[in-house]
Amino acid sequence: MTLEEFTKIIEIYGSSSERWPVGLREECENFIAHNTAPKELIDRQHELEMLMNQIAVPEFPGLEAKVLDQQLPPRKLAPLDRFLEWLLPADKPGKLFWRPAMVACLPLIFGIVIGNFYNFGIDLNSEGFEYWDDELYVLSLNDYTENLF
Amino acid sequence: MTDEELMLAVCRGDQSAYQTLVRRHLKSISHYAFRLLGNSKDTEDIAQETFLRLWINACRWQADKAKLSTWLHRISHNLCVDYLRKHSRVQTRDFLEEDADNRGQTLRSGAGLHGESASDVNEHFDEDDKLGKLKAAMVELPESQRSALMLCHYQGFSNKEAAAIMNVSVKAIESTLARAKRSLRKKIAEVENNIDNTLWGEEIKTQQQELK
Repeated sequence: MTLEEFTKIIEIYGSSSERWPVGLREECENFIAHNTAPKELIDRQHELEMLMNQIAVPEFPGLEAKVLDQQLPPRKLAPLDRFLEWLLPADKPGKLFWRPAMVACLPLIFGIVIGNFYNFGIDLNSEGFEYWDDELYVLSLNDYTENLF
Repeated sequence: MTDEELMLAVCRGDQSAYQTLVRRHLKSISHYAFRLLGNSKDTEDIAQETFLRLWINACRWQADKAKLSTWLHRISHNLCVDYLRKHSRVQTRDFLEEDADNRGQTLRSGAGLHGESASDVNEHFDEDDKLGKLKAAMVELPESQRSALMLCHYQGFSNKEAAAIMNVSVKAIESTLARAKRSLRKKIAEVENNIDNTLWGEEIKTQQQELK
């Protein structure tokens, strides 16, 4: 390691060896142990850091209240977020349990309604196929064939 | 509760979670803004705006990409940089005024009051002088050097985090830090009556020759 390389390390990471890159720490410590110039550099860097630490920042006594009291605008949520917020509100999930239950039923209701209007190639005039009763029977997952014969 | 949990709550509009986050991060943000801007009034404005943006953009924060403190410092940093560019360095008056007050107090306190000898007082004055010079030197640093120094030295961020906050590469942060510290050392050396008054780099070269 050269003095220039070592200087770069303490300029970048500071005088405390704890902040030096782990891979270079041992090499740096060896370099310090065998030379006086790096020690002087560390002392000067340390002095600068100590001086920097003396620069205090004033207190801002009313700032917290100011930040907390400022008017917060209502957040504009995306339509999907608004729907999810309505579906599963964070504050009263138990009370509004019917909402997710209802949403879960929607595909079923939708399927029944659509199935009632469109035949999707199924011949409704075939014997033994009577609209709602049959459709519900099919949905009940029973063996439909035993009814046909 | 962790920052992540609180941010999820803020995202859903939970004001009490927002208040907890303000209490947790306000000090650090206000200190950073003050060290960059150097005056209390603007610091307060920047801090308020930073947390307002936290409220508005809470849902955009991604925990896997940056820690909340890094994200907040980035918001604050951008606001400060905008402010400094708009007001082209009218800032930092409080820093220097406070320094002048301190130096006045040191002189007024005198040797007799604290039982200190004249040489002790002189030493104090030298120390105050160095501190004053350091503050002035910090004010004179380019904004990028000051930011890098504040983030790494005072705010305790790693070089990588500071680079993310300032939106530059880690290499750039490293060279900026080195330049800033060299510049400050030079100013301190002037106070110490270092007659040679050379740049640190030149001193290094001399020392290197000695080593050889």
